This record gives sequence, C-alpha cells and structure tokens, in this order.
Amino acid sequence: MSTEDKEQIENDTSGMVGNDKWLEAYKDPVASLYTLTQCICLSDVQADGDWKLIIADLGTGSFNMKLKVYKGTNLMSEHTIIDLPTGVVSFYMDTHEPRTPAIAVASGPYIYVYKNLRPYFKFTLPTLEVNPVEADLWNQVKEEKINIFVLREMLEGMRAEGTVLTVRSLRFLQLQDVGDCETFANMYKYTPLKRQTVITCLSTMKKSMAEEDAISCLVLGTESKSIYVLDPEAFTVLTTLDLPAVPVFLSVTGLFDVEYRIVVACRNGCIYTLKRGTTDPLKNCIELNSQPVGLERINKTIYVGTMDESLHCYTSKGKKLWTVKLPGSMTTMEVIDYKSKGFKAVIVALNNCQVHIYKEKYLVNVIKTDAIVTGLKFGQFGREEGTLIMTLKGGGLVIKILKRNATFEEKDLSGGPPSAQNTRLNVPKKTKLFVDQTMRERENAITMHRTFQRDLYLLRLNTLREYAKSLDNSMNPISSDPSEPLKLNAQVQGIGPTFKLTVNLQNTSLSQPSTSLLITFLYDEKLYNFKKSFIEVPMLVPGLNYAFETFLECLSDKGVSDNIKVFVLKDGKSVPIITGVISMPVSEGLVVV
Amino acid sequence: MGIFDSLAKWLGLKKKEANVLVVGLDNSGKTTIINQLKPAESKSHDIVPTIGFTVEKFSGKSLSFTAFDMSGQGRYRNLWEHYYKECQGIIFVIDSSDRLRMVVAQEELEQLLNHPDIVGKRIPILFYANKMDMRDALSAVKVAHLLNLDKISTKPWHICASNALTGEGLSEGVEWITGQLKEIVNAK
Repeated sequence: MSTEDKEQIENDTSGMVGNDKWLEAYKDPVASLYTLTQCICLSDVQADGDWKLIIADLGTGSFNMKLKVYKGTNLMSEHTIIDLPTGVVSFYMDTHEPRTPAIAVASGPYIYVYKNLRPYFKFTLPTLEVNPVEADLWNQVKEEKINIFVLREMLEGMRAEGTVLTVRSLRFLQLQDVGDCETFANMYKYTPLKRQTVITCLSTMKKSMAEEDAISCLVLGTESKSIYVLDPEAFTVLTTLDLPAVPVFLSVTGLFDVEYRIVVACRNGCIYTLKRGTTDPLKNCIELNSQPVGLERINKTIYVGTMDESLHCYTSKGKKLWTVKLPGSMTTMEVIDYKSKGFKAVIVALNNCQVHIYKEKYLVNVIKTDAIVTGLKFGQFGREEGTLIMTLKGGGLVIKILKRNATFEEKDLSGGPPSAQNTRLNVPKKTKLFVDQTMRERENAITMHRTFQRDLYLLRLNTLREYAKSLDNSMNPISSDPSEPLKLNAQVQGIGPTFKLTVNLQNTSLSQPSTSLLITFLYDEKLYNFKKSFIEVPMLVPGLNYAFETFLECLSDKGVSDNIKVFVLKDGKSVPIITGVISMPVSEGLVVV
Repeated sequence: MGIFDSLAKWLGLKKKEANVLVVGLDNSGKTTIINQLKPAESKSHDIVPTIGFTVEKFSGKSLSFTAFDMSGQGRYRNLWEHYYKECQGIIFVIDSSDRLRMVVAQEELEQLLNHPDIVGKRIPILFYANKMDMRDALSAVKVAHLLNLDKISTKPWHICASNALTGEGLSEGVEWITGQLKEIVNAK
C-alpha cells in the first residue's frame, strides 16, 4: 500500500481507535505472560458459569513453564509443566454431571490432561519405528562389541545417507569431546532405544454430536509429519493421517463419526485438506507464495496469513478469492465467532502494535495496543460473552470486552471504487431477432417515426377531451370554478352492514369564505339506506378542513357493492360544483347467532 | 379512586407510593436484594436468574415501593429503557467482586444517564456495591471511583456497600431513597 493510502487509513481509523466498539476491562503490563495464541484457552473448568482463562506460560524456554488459570482479573492457580507447551485446548471427555471440560496441554511427546485443574492423565504418543541398523549399533555398544568411534562413524554415515535417527543418536553426534561421548554412551546404552516425536499443534473435533458440550476427540500434529486423532474416553489413537510435511496449524470441522475435514498448514508452505477416508492428501493442496503464519476456517472459506504481510482467502476447493495487503507483518491470527450476534470475523495482530479485524475482506475495526500482541483469544470470559484476550510481547495482559450494541459494518475503509464496479456485467449475446429488428428500423425509419408521433398526438387529444368533459360535468373533486374554490375528499369507515361516510370539505381560497352549500348523495336505494342524505354546509372558513359524517346501512346481504356519488351543490345552481365518486366496499353480512 | 381511598389519602393515613427501577448487570444481586426487602411471608427461598423482569412491592417506613426488577443479562438489557419514563427512582446494583465487568457496568450506567427520558429529570439513584462479603470485593469508594459517580451532577446519588444474602447495608440505602422520593412524591 502506498504511503498516502496508509495515512488515509490512519486518519480514517483514528476516529475508531477501537474505543467505540471495545471496552477496556483490564490491563496488566507486568503480568509476565510469555505465551502464544495456541497456548491460550477459555473454558468453564469448574462448571459454574464463570469461564476461566487458561494460559500455558512458556517461561524462559527451559524452566519456569507454568499453566496459569485466571478467574476474573486474579490469578487463581498455577501448575508447573515439565516441558515447553505447544498447545492448550479445552474439551469434554465424558458425560458426567456437572459437565466439566478437561484441559489438554501438549508438550513434547506427551499430552497432559487436567480435570478440575488437577492432573488427571498423561498420554504418551505411540513410539515410532527405530531404524534396525541403529538399534543394532546401540545394542552392540551395550554388549561392548564395538567402541564409540565405530559407533560414531556408522551413525554419521547413516545420517549422511538421510535416515532419520533417534534423538539419542543425534545428541551423541553433537558431542565433540571424546570423554563426553564415553560418558554419554555409558549412561544411555542400557535403556532401550526408542524414537519419540514432538507434538506441533493441537485441536479438538467433536466425536458424534455437534452440541456445545458433546464429547470431543483430540487432533494433534507431530514433527514426524503425521496427524493423530485420539479417542477422549480411552485415549487410544483412532486414526493416523500422513502428510508430506510437518503440520504447523490445524483447523478442524465436522464430526468424527460422520464426516470431518481437517485443513492443515505445513512447513513447506502448502495447505492440505484431509477428509474422512482420504488416502492421498496431495489431491487437495494449496501452494502458498510464502510461509503461513496463521490459518483459520470460517464457514467454507480458509483464511491464511503469510509472511509476506498479506492475508489470503481461499475456498475449500483451493481457489483464491481475495488477498489483502496488511500494513505490517502478522504476528498471530485468530477467529472471532460471536454466536449470539452471529458475527464471524478474523482478527489479525500486526507488528506495528495494531490489531485488525477483518470481516470478509473488509477491515471493520482497528485496535491499538501498547506493545506487539503475541497471543489472541476471543470467547466467553467470566460471565461476559464477547471478551478479547490479548497477551503482549513484554508479558502484559489486556482484556477488552465488546460493547453490547457494537455492530461491525462491512464498509470498506480503504476507499477506492465501490466493489460493485469490480463485478463483471452479464451482457447477453445478440440474438438473431435483435439483428433483424435493427435492420427493419434502419429501413423504415421515417414511417415508424410518423406513426409514433401520430399516435402520441391522438393520445394527448383524447386525454384532453375527457378532461374537458369532466370539467364541464364538474366530475372532479377539485373545483375549477374560481368563484367557488372547494376541495372534496371522502372516506368510508367500517366493515358493514353499517358504514360511516365522512366527507371532508375544504375551502382552498385565501380569503373568500363559501356560503350556502349543500351536500347530497346519489345512491342505489335498494342497496343502501342513508341516515342523512342531505347535509347543509355552514360557512366554510378558508383553509380549514370540515368533516361531515353520515351513517349508511347496506340493505342487501348478497355481498354486492356499488358506487355512491357525492355532490356539493350551491343554492341556485343546477350543476353541482364538485362531485366525488366513492366505490363502496363489500359489506360483511349481519352475523345471526 | 374510591371514596375511602381519597379520604385515607387526605387524612395522611395511606402510604405514598413510588415506582422504583432496579437495574444492574447479571449476577449482581438485584433479585436477592428485593427479596430481602419484601415482608417475611412473601420471601422466596430460591433465587433464579430473572428473565425479562418482575414487579415486586415492598414498603419502607413511610413509603410503599413498586419495584421493577429488570433482568441484567445482556440480551434483556435493552428492555430497561422502556421503563425509564415511569420510574421515580433507580436502584443500581453492582457486584463489587467482579472487577472485570466493572467497565461494562460503567458503560450501562452511562447509557442510562444519557437516555432522553432520564437526562432531564432529577431522579435519585441509589447504588448498592453488593457482595461486600466476598474476598476480593472492592470498597464502595473504589466502586464509586470506577463508575465515575463524581461526574453525576444533576441527580442526587448515594452509594453503600451491601450484602444481599444477610441484608446488611440495605436499610441504609432504602432510608436514603425514601427521603429523596418523599419530597418528589409529596410535591406531586
């Protein structure tokens, strides 16, 4: 984006720094939380309607890793975790009442499950196959058949060939000092060799029902390029799916027992879609221009943030819908799903201390923060549904609440031509009939014009004749006689058999009153019976509206209706001044009980 | 009004009536407070989240109140404004242990004060900083500061800490609002 555009956005959005839609609920710049979006979770762990904020703090990377639970603005409890956490999710494991969700923390090759904030279960990923040659080598070391130099040479040779070694072998090869190698080998040669992998991402999938509190399975991606789906009740691996690269971001929708779709962003810059029963993930692959930084799925569209400062949107089939250039590089991305308002959007944190909210491809809101945001989460916190949790780079925590009556319009703030101009017009093709007609027009131009003009004049003549006739007969409701300026308007009220007829008479002159006027009606006597069929009109003051009412009864019960004419007569003249015609509605017959 | 009613009123025997609107966020304790103020025989034993609103009557020493106990849940908060016209006093209940939502309460209060039916009238507002027994409850002074109550200059207001479960602090508030409303009702 050019600098002018950038400035314009600054000016446009300065009026909506985010204050008119978000309330600042809590701010703690020294909360010392070092975490990422994947390690934040909002969950009702105590089943009391007061949702807690669960954050897996990465500590310093090698120690002090903790699971922190916030209740309101206070830290409720802290639990130490053994290894670096890579994901935290909340899911329902069982159907015991009261419905309490469990928290799953993924770290290393283990998943720690906490129930009621107490450690409940530790799941270990199944070990992978160890290369038999490698296993054999270590076996030989154990039995003292070979020495460490041979071991080292063989392992290096295997690594050069490209075989995947266990962590132990790799660590062994890293050691330079002979003494260290000896101690290392002697320490570890007796333990069985196993190859463990590391979990990279964690998500949940509902198992068989789609309710909010139905049992969910855990879906996790590992460094060994595979995805496991775990059963929540027995913690067995239900399915294993293999990918061509290491998965980094997961987006899961659907039910495991019915039909599900997993969208995976991998380290090779591709996005794969896996469906229930797919064998080949390469069938549905989206190649990105640069590495993905965030992946979300809303309805059927996939939103991907990439390292080249842009946000792309793809259909689930893989077609690119649009791209938006961001004013800075993205640090993290999250989806806003505000169910009670039916509002879905993507929220993107940038490294220029701004947080953008995109609904479709339109920027609907910008929130400015004090520092770069590293973790985002939107959901229910405490008793409030629309809460946005942001963790900052310096360790701060900011909590914002969406205002009750905030709406996000899809106005495109970046200006430019309206989007309707971008759609192509569906111009139909020329038909043969159209071409023939054009030829005919060209040939008979003069006669066509003449006929048309003649018809137009005749139409005008007939209209004027009718108008003159009606003026002569005083058939219109506005008087054309300058000595008697009156306006008549009539209304019928009621459903029958009795109706109320109101005649509104107004003197339209500026200063001349009207006197000695009478109102009378012309009607079919067999159908209607008027209470007052003759009304004497008092003097009409100019400008005021006078209403004269009379009741009339419909005598027939056959549901016929007729027209009634209202005449305004002046003493001494035989032609009425103005006439009004009322077509009476059909009368509802008398109900005989 | 029957002849006995008018006679009683004229003689000063019948209590004056006042309409009071009870509002606040959900789970703040509005229904519990009203329940405490009701006479012992009509008190209910279980308090459940109010849906829509309920009308309760209770009486103080010299004034009988008709209280409109509104629901505080987000989806019912837009009902409050329909009752602003008819009320003569407002009781605003705050959960002083819910620091996170204090800003939401402040926002609702602002909207209430700026509503056209309220902005011109000199309606007394009584604030209850409820749940004072909770461990991390804020004091009434702190709540008043967070809600910017000192900015209210056109209406008489009063804040007191209360515990709706035991009834502590409620009578102080009712006495204040009775005093305020008596002047208004007598002037009518």
